[in-house]
Amino acid sequence: MSPRNAIEVSGLDKSFGRFKALDELDLTVRTGEVTGFLGPNGSGKSTTIRVLLGLLRADSGSVRLLGGDPWKEAVTLHRRLAYVPGDVSLWPDLTGGQAIDLLGRLRGGLDARRRREFLERFELDPTKKARTYSKGNRQKVALVAALASTAELLILDEPTSGLDPLMEAVFTDCVREVKEAGRTVLLSSHILSEVEKLCDTVTIIRGGRTVESGTLSDLRHLTRSTVRAEVDADATALKDLAGVHDLTIDGATVTFAVEHDHMGTVLHELTALGVRSLVSNPPSLEELFLRHYGDELTTVDGAGNKGKRS
Amino acid sequence: MSAFTGTGTLIRFALFRDRLRLAIWVVVLAGLTAVSVPTLDEMFSDPAERQARAALMDSPTGIVFGGPGYGLDDYTLGPMLVNEMTMSLLMAMAVMSVLHMVRHTRAEEESGRAELLRAGVLGASAQTAAALITLALAHLLIGGLIAASMVAFDLPVPDSIAYGLGLALAGISFGAIAAVCAQVSEHGRSAAGLAFLVIGLLFMFRVVGDIAEQGGNVWSWLSPFAWLQQARPFDDLRWEPLALYGVCVLVLFVVTYALARRRDVGAGLVAARPGPAGAGRLLRGVFTLHLNQQRGAIVAWAVAVLAFGYAFGSLTTEVAEMLDSAPELAAILGGDADDLVDGFLAVLTTYVVMAASAYGTLSVLRAWSEENAGRAELLLSTAVGRVHWFGSALAVAALATALILVSGGLGLGLGASVALEDAGWTWRTVESSLSQLPAALVFGALAALLLGIAPRLLPLIWLWFGYSLVATMLGGLFEFPEEFMNLSAFEILARPPMEAFETAPFLLYLGAVLLAGALSLSGFRDRDLVTA
Repeated sequence: MSPRNAIEVSGLDKSFGRFKALDELDLTVRTGEVTGFLGPNGSGKSTTIRVLLGLLRADSGSVRLLGGDPWKEAVTLHRRLAYVPGDVSLWPDLTGGQAIDLLGRLRGGLDARRRREFLERFELDPTKKARTYSKGNRQKVALVAALASTAELLILDEPTSGLDPLMEAVFTDCVREVKEAGRTVLLSSHILSEVEKLCDTVTIIRGGRTVESGTLSDLRHLTRSTVRAEVDADATALKDLAGVHDLTIDGATVTFAVEHDHMGTVLHELTALGVRSLVSNPPSLEELFLRHYGDELTTVDGAGNKGKRS
Repeated sequence: MSAFTGTGTLIRFALFRDRLRLAIWVVVLAGLTAVSVPTLDEMFSDPAERQARAALMDSPTGIVFGGPGYGLDDYTLGPMLVNEMTMSLLMAMAVMSVLHMVRHTRAEEESGRAELLRAGVLGASAQTAAALITLALAHLLIGGLIAASMVAFDLPVPDSIAYGLGLALAGISFGAIAAVCAQVSEHGRSAAGLAFLVIGLLFMFRVVGDIAEQGGNVWSWLSPFAWLQQARPFDDLRWEPLALYGVCVLVLFVVTYALARRRDVGAGLVAARPGPAGAGRLLRGVFTLHLNQQRGAIVAWAVAVLAFGYAFGSLTTEVAEMLDSAPELAAILGGDADDLVDGFLAVLTTYVVMAASAYGTLSVLRAWSEENAGRAELLLSTAVGRVHWFGSALAVAALATALILVSGGLGLGLGASVALEDAGWTWRTVESSLSQLPAALVFGALAALLLGIAPRLLPLIWLWFGYSLVATMLGGLFEFPEEFMNLSAFEILARPPMEAFETAPFLLYLGAVLLAGALSLSGFRDRDLVTA
């Protein structure tokens, strides 16, 4: 029986010498869901994944993977998961097909029909030696090996970083199918549109700390929509309203960002000014992301406190 | 010529990149020689001692590591230097040449850096030319410094210059051989392996020729190892043999140029063919994977060591003959003919042990490169435990070491059996080589221990390995004190067939090796994996 959460990490610390790679990191992946794991380079995504795989030992904090301890029970737990590293390195003189079979066998079996199916979908030639593969093709080898397995948990570390847009689309379809089959996915990524398309929940980390986590709508709730309107009257008064930011007035056109909690009052004021047209854009994940990594966010801790850290 | 456009820039670049590397080679090689001149002079100060030493150099072991033996009749400082130093210098220069050439040609292509350069204004043969020219500069500097140190010791100027120049030219020829090998093979590592194999064969040509006939026969003349001493510096100097180096370099460079024009950047001459679409039944575990990865190398080493053993083993007839015709030699060397055959085979067995331990260490270090490349991470993310993965790597390394050891012993034994017409030798030399098993395994075991506990200290392995090689090969010559000799891993056990096998030290040594292996497994289990 699977536990409710496939991955439960809380207060995870990991240092390399004097460098603190992970600092009180929290991460929860619910069974049967796709969780996005976002963060810039060097923020600790791969380190977290390696702790989850029992390749690195946690300094402190609790880490549960599929109900077990990833360091002590690595071998048993690994039968139930499949991993695609961010930078796939293969044995230069083995063919892609040999590598896929080897990884499958070491994991405890591979479905030949699915192997064939995914080779076709990813248009991968399994007879080529790995040394002749490009980065994208090496990634496809690891993806085919992972997707063709029957593992209940897939851990994917930036799996599309070498794929072209067509293959990215194939990958997106594959992950949707995996989810429909009730399997769990942890997807670390830079590509926000991918995470937006695929993920039920998102965890954003920075500098080894979790700064935001929740469902996409949870996170959007915390942020601002951009509003653009044409009004008859002078809109300067909007500036003094609570929750309104970055107000610009260009003739009759007024543009501003508004915190969702204040949307009602702001709309009320706007109506009073005589609205001729109104466009409101919900925040994209890009904006969420920029809020955490952009220059604007000097107060990361403030943002973090608004998040669901517990 | 457009094929060489940009060579000048690349030369400056290579000199800049390798300023430290080349400086170390120059300082070490020239410095060691400069130090050896007075050392040898003092060590053999009286003429009787010198002639006794000359007699030793006329023995088969002396010929193998000395040369054809010009100037032995009047063994003054000049001939002594030529006979005692040349082979070690040439071997060191060969290593330097191969590493330098491969580093600046094939390894650059393999890494993709050559592509970046070749996309600029750069001729197809510019990299090879630049590598060879920088190598030539370094060798000429070494040769010049060595000649100068000889002249400084009042040795004749023309002979000193001929000797220094000959050394440099030989070094450049080894570089030209490596340049051809770098064209043929697609990978830096296999290009270097191929070059070392060719150079090893050329060394054997000289040994076979020099032993078969006083002053060498046609086999010797096929080898660049011979030409320097055939110029007879400090004996009866003739310059013509040195011209052979020029011809050799020129021919090899033209071959390299022709090969480079015929192929694509990054490609070898042998195109990669498609392989199997799936893994065979054998490739189902990490042990078979390790084996699969090293299959070619293990077979190549075993065959090379077997051939080496056979070639040298069959020289035992010459050993016996030489002693029959010169009984006084046996008296000088202290012992009868049988003892000398035993001694000769014991020395050769030690060389087999060195080869086997070198492979064993390299094999263990492969696990380290697998870890650094991220392939260990991929495997360990499957249901493979760490002890299983690392233990399999160690098992493959140990088995390969034992296999190479036995093939060397077998080769020696077969050669000796044929030469002495006594089949009993076959088993005896296999037994002798197996009696050194712990010494062959110890470097691999220590490499494993460091890998498991403190991988950053891994380079220390080569320090001890290098020391053990030098102490065992040259310790006798330079009369190392007993306690320094005992620091060599190859001096710890008795050396059959010269000495009697002793069980207790063998078991103790083997126990230490196994303990190191066990500790390395527990260390590897408990440490963080090194990740990219």
